[in-house]
Amino acid sequence: MKMGREGDVVVTHALGSCLGLMIYDPSIKVGGMLHAMLPMAKINPQKAEANPYMFVDTGVVRLFKEIYRLGGKKSRLVVKAAGCASPIGKDEMFKIGKRNYTVLKKLLWKNNVLLDAEAVGGTVSRTVHFHISTGQILIKSGQHQEFSL
Amino acid sequence: MTPGYVDDIISDIKSFPSMSDAALKVLKLVDDPKSTASEIEEILRYEPSITANILKLTNSAYFGVPTKVASIRQAIVLLGWEKLGKLVMTTCVNAVLDKPVRGYDLSPGELWQHSIAVSVAAELLVKELNIDADNEIFTAALLHDLGKLVLGDYVKEDFSAIRTAAGEGTPFQAAERRVLGTDHAEVGGRLLELWSFPESLVRAVRWHHEPDSAEEPGAIIDLIHVADVLCLMIGLGAGTEGLQYKPSPAATKRLGLKPRQLELVASQTLQWANELGGIFQGNR
Ligand SMILES: [Fe+2]
Ligand SMILES: [Fe+2]
Repeated sequence: MKMGREGDVVVTHALGSCLGLMIYDPSIKVGGMLHAMLPMAKINPQKAEANPYMFVDTGVVRLFKEIYRLGGKKSRLVVKAAGCASPIGKDEMFKIGKRNYTVLKKLLWKNNVLLDAEAVGGTVSRTVHFHISTGQILIKSGQHQEFSL
Repeated sequence: MTPGYVDDIISDIKSFPSMSDAALKVLKLVDDPKSTASEIEEILRYEPSITANILKLTNSAYFGVPTKVASIRQAIVLLGWEKLGKLVMTTCVNAVLDKPVRGYDLSPGELWQHSIAVSVAAELLVKELNIDADNEIFTAALLHDLGKLVLGDYVKEDFSAIRTAAGEGTPFQAAERRVLGTDHAEVGGRLLELWSFPESLVRAVRWHHEPDSAEEPGAIIDLIHVADVLCLMIGLGAGTEGLQYKPSPAATKRLGLKPRQLELVASQTLQWANELGGIFQGNR
């Protein structure tokens, strides 16, 4: 997880099936990004203790806590998601990206938070540039044109 | 479609620089139960950079020996032959794989990072599944994408055709084959054949995206196949083709792999891959 203030650009590379969650408070220009690999911390409690940001369920909660600590207000937050890709085929075992997304949606739903935008799924591996001064989020993957989320 | 590139690609394979002589000699010695530590020392005496890197790896947590190791002899005694072979391989492969790879859009060090990650993930799978796999798996995993170094220039040249061929649901290596007449797994296999690597290792590289097409399926092939997809998923070395590969349900079934185990291995891979992959960073 990385937090940023005005002037910062928060970057994460090659999300793959990982979830990238970006939250932003435009009135105080503070934002943060989570890069979580797996849906649930219970798969490896030891790792979760050392690095809760590796998991969607524990990481998302911390991301929100952190932005509140920096002065963010829930009513003002802009929340966007990226990543959660999967390889080709129907094998559910490899749909970790889909499971990451499902856990995110459940968590947000429980807490009455809506996603303002998302670039999720497919087979592309996304790189995210999050400009904290403007709140702009740029997404690039493979040979595709970069776009603003 | 003109698979007329194949002749060019084959001649590129033949002129691709082989691994250093010293490395191949040491690997032979490691494979030979009759060889002695002095013989290995003798070869490495003239290879200070290989020696330095072997010592760095010996002192890494992954290969973990309890004492600080300062000489090759000490390393051999503490690690044993099998691990020493892995270390020599890792050191020599680093020099080959550390380059940027055109076509797949991998920046310097990315193919190296991916390769070491697949080795780590494959070994973690072996442990988790309690499979009796020989130590070839580490080396095979390190070299599985070697073919990208040769094929990259051709992929770059014909990228839009390959992307069209890849369309919805066609795996990237199948698209390579359709446009170029061969794919990076086949090219990698041929390279290793040319360098006289053991056949089982050649097969693992050759079929790492299509484990069900191998004449006889095998645990090494399946493990590298799964480890590779997993590393791409967690963002380690996914190039321009992203996750445009198809995991084989038959391979996971043969291995008896459960979703829970796959996630567990994912959670362990990143840290080791970063640690091992970063060891040579100062050299670049
Ligand atoms: Fe590959
Ligand atoms: Fe690979």
